[in-house]
Amino acid sequence: MIKIVKRDQPSRAIFFFTPVLAIFLTLVAGGLIFFILGFKPFEALKFFFIVPIADKYGFSELLLKATPLCLIAIGLSFCFKSNNWNIGAEGQLTFGAIVSGGVALLFYEQEGFYILPIVILAGAIGGMLYASIPAILKTYFNTNEILVSLMLVYVSKLILDYLVVGPWSNPEGFNFPETRQFSDSAKLPLLFEGLRIHAGIFLALAAVVISWFVFYKTYLGFQMKVSGFSLKTARYAGYKGKKMIILVFLISGACAGLAGVGEITGPIGQLHREISPDYGFTAIIVAFLGRLHPVGIIFASLVVAITYLGAETAQIFMQIPKYTGQVFQGMILFFLLASDYLLFFKIKFIGSKK
Amino acid sequence: MNTNLKISNVTKIYPGCVANDNVSLEFNSGKIYALLGENGAGKSTLVKILSGVIIPDEGKIYLNENNLKLNSPLDAKKNDIGMVFQHFNLFETLSVFENLIIDSDEQRESLREKIDTIIKKYNFSIDLDIPVLNLSAGQKQKVEIIRCLIRSPKVLIMDEPTSVLTEQETSELFLSLKKFSEEGILIIYITHKLKEVMQLCDEVAVMRRGKLVSVSEIKNENIESLANKMVGQNLKTIKKKKAKTSSDQLIKITNLNFTSEDPFETNLMDINFSVNRGECLGIAGISGNGQSELFQVLSGEIISEKNSIEFNNNYIGDLSPQERREYLMAFSPEDRLEQAAIPQMKIFENVALNNFKSSNFFNNGLINENKIKEHSKKIISDFNVNTDNIELKSQFLSGGNLQKLIIGRELITSPDLLICFNPTWGLDVGAINYIHETLIKINEQNKSIILISTDTDELLKLSDKISVIHKGKLSTIMNAEEVTSEKLGILMGGAN
Repeated sequence: MIKIVKRDQPSRAIFFFTPVLAIFLTLVAGGLIFFILGFKPFEALKFFFIVPIADKYGFSELLLKATPLCLIAIGLSFCFKSNNWNIGAEGQLTFGAIVSGGVALLFYEQEGFYILPIVILAGAIGGMLYASIPAILKTYFNTNEILVSLMLVYVSKLILDYLVVGPWSNPEGFNFPETRQFSDSAKLPLLFEGLRIHAGIFLALAAVVISWFVFYKTYLGFQMKVSGFSLKTARYAGYKGKKMIILVFLISGACAGLAGVGEITGPIGQLHREISPDYGFTAIIVAFLGRLHPVGIIFASLVVAITYLGAETAQIFMQIPKYTGQVFQGMILFFLLASDYLLFFKIKFIGSKK
Repeated sequence: MNTNLKISNVTKIYPGCVANDNVSLEFNSGKIYALLGENGAGKSTLVKILSGVIIPDEGKIYLNENNLKLNSPLDAKKNDIGMVFQHFNLFETLSVFENLIIDSDEQRESLREKIDTIIKKYNFSIDLDIPVLNLSAGQKQKVEIIRCLIRSPKVLIMDEPTSVLTEQETSELFLSLKKFSEEGILIIYITHKLKEVMQLCDEVAVMRRGKLVSVSEIKNENIESLANKMVGQNLKTIKKKKAKTSSDQLIKITNLNFTSEDPFETNLMDINFSVNRGECLGIAGISGNGQSELFQVLSGEIISEKNSIEFNNNYIGDLSPQERREYLMAFSPEDRLEQAAIPQMKIFENVALNNFKSSNFFNNGLINENKIKEHSKKIISDFNVNTDNIELKSQFLSGGNLQKLIIGRELITSPDLLICFNPTWGLDVGAINYIHETLIKINEQNKSIILISTDTDELLKLSDKISVIHKGKLSTIMNAEEVTSEKLGILMGGAN
């Protein structure tokens, strides 16, 4: 007989074990899906998860995809840990990219070491501006940040669309929906010859370290945490709770904006219609899979990045649509939420007595 | 006709907790039964089983020898079991009459007649055609009772009915209940207030930790014996020594006003009082009369005019809670789980919420975890918090232990004034005793207390002076010895 018993307190070990369990269950379920589709499950999973990162180029691609995921998820962890449900990182990424792309275009045909920092800063500011909208509406007008931040994603994509088709489109571009190429001074340097991995990865690593420090070691981080759990408690303790909410949104927006900068000033070097394959949404999964902890997020971003690559190889070698990648992302989140049940309950196997 | 209700071997298990452990009880009409127990003793689960809200894992319920299958509240109604819950289930914007007919399929006219007879018979003074939101809590409760009476129930269950009532409303309720009982309705009265049990009931069943511990007749019991059964240990009675009359003024409130933009809050009008060192000022009142607003104005969550609050010869009306703490004030808000502490955070993190400059919890913007932990350990041992793990999330502390932690956190900085709001609300008798002892000790150390509470007994026990708040206004301040609970009740109802 199986019996479910409540735990006296959530288990620390289980807290780190459930993400692993979720990934395992995703693989099992994924194998099953491949089997039903008529593929050999192990071979298909190999194409999906091993082949794409088996060589140097593949590994570079993995880091390339993991960088924005990690960066955004770090920013989101500030929001989520303080109970602010910013799910519009995709919009903040897009708007950050628009602002930094606009600045990069201003310096078109110019060279100088000062250009790249300005472009990066512009991206962060763009993301912050865009994140401040749901934050201010939430704190001063009691709107729901989930709805506002989500809706703004579509607004930002339409703005981008308008710009690359209209005023910012490349005059010599035969009406393709894209801008001019940025000058080399506005691009993040590539790290290795022939590989696409670029200096954006350092931004992500810096974000990991800074976020860990701020959240776990500073008074500011403590106040953010308290304000997130309860504005009433924050007020009672004497913190400025509303400012804390706005601050976490700004941090999260800045990170997403930086991810946007990385996307357009990295290998691509221009603004175009589809600058992000929904990194902003996928990063939500990364943040939770990484348990909102900086180190966890690093691992989670690598795992989830594989699904992007695997989807592409699967499309090429197995002729299945690349949206399988999203199926896997969905399954990870699904199994993670399901296995979180184990945090609070344990399953006991009791031998039948009679 | 005689009604007999039998609960036979009822067990209800939740993950990690046995709410009812093989409970068997028998009730007969003509008597009023008390079901007594602390919070979490299992009495609510038991009455929810009787009213069909919860289905037991094991056990049976018989009404006049018929085995009842209670799978929903509707089944309970059909079987003539009526229940008045602690929180009212009324539509505020509908009229009293509309509320009464809403779950009935009888004709309006015949129902109206029926309701009129009930109102006349029991002397309820209620206008059927005004919206429920205009009624007092006592009247709302009467509407709930009438709703049960329409169905001429055999059993009427009352769940903690007096928690929102004034003294006068309570005695009116008791009169009605006695009348119902004489007419043959079996009454089960759930409470943790011992005094009420002694006043009203004929028999008492005591529950503790899901188990039935005793069934006895009231005439064989007294308050102490019941309290001991409820807690499972012998309690000492606490008495406050009369305070040395000091004339050394600590805090003075002058012409304090607060006007809220929120229609659900109460405005404070022209509040004036002062508290001397070593004194406890009790502020009584029915909840929702401005207590919460008064607490916030005093704690600094709501800022007021600088000169309206004078503390230790400083004007502090415009200071934030943190700044006020530096002047040696401490605050214990009403809501333990949503305001005074954060259940999802660890014990030591909750301790850091009272950030007093000299305790050095935060240096140059960095958290000084060792200092906080050291401090937390001291609170835990000094204030008898029943745990040795300060890394535990505070949601795993019982209400009593959490309150001890909060009071401890506020007191360990040895403040001159503690302002507390319903400090023992919802706690078990043991914890209440501990908190009361602690508060008395503070006064003995020549420190002052402002005690805002809806519990009249607590106020009479602890206060040196008492005032009553009604609709945002304070009554004159009276000496506690000259006050009776009857007098407080009248003032709480708004009369002069």
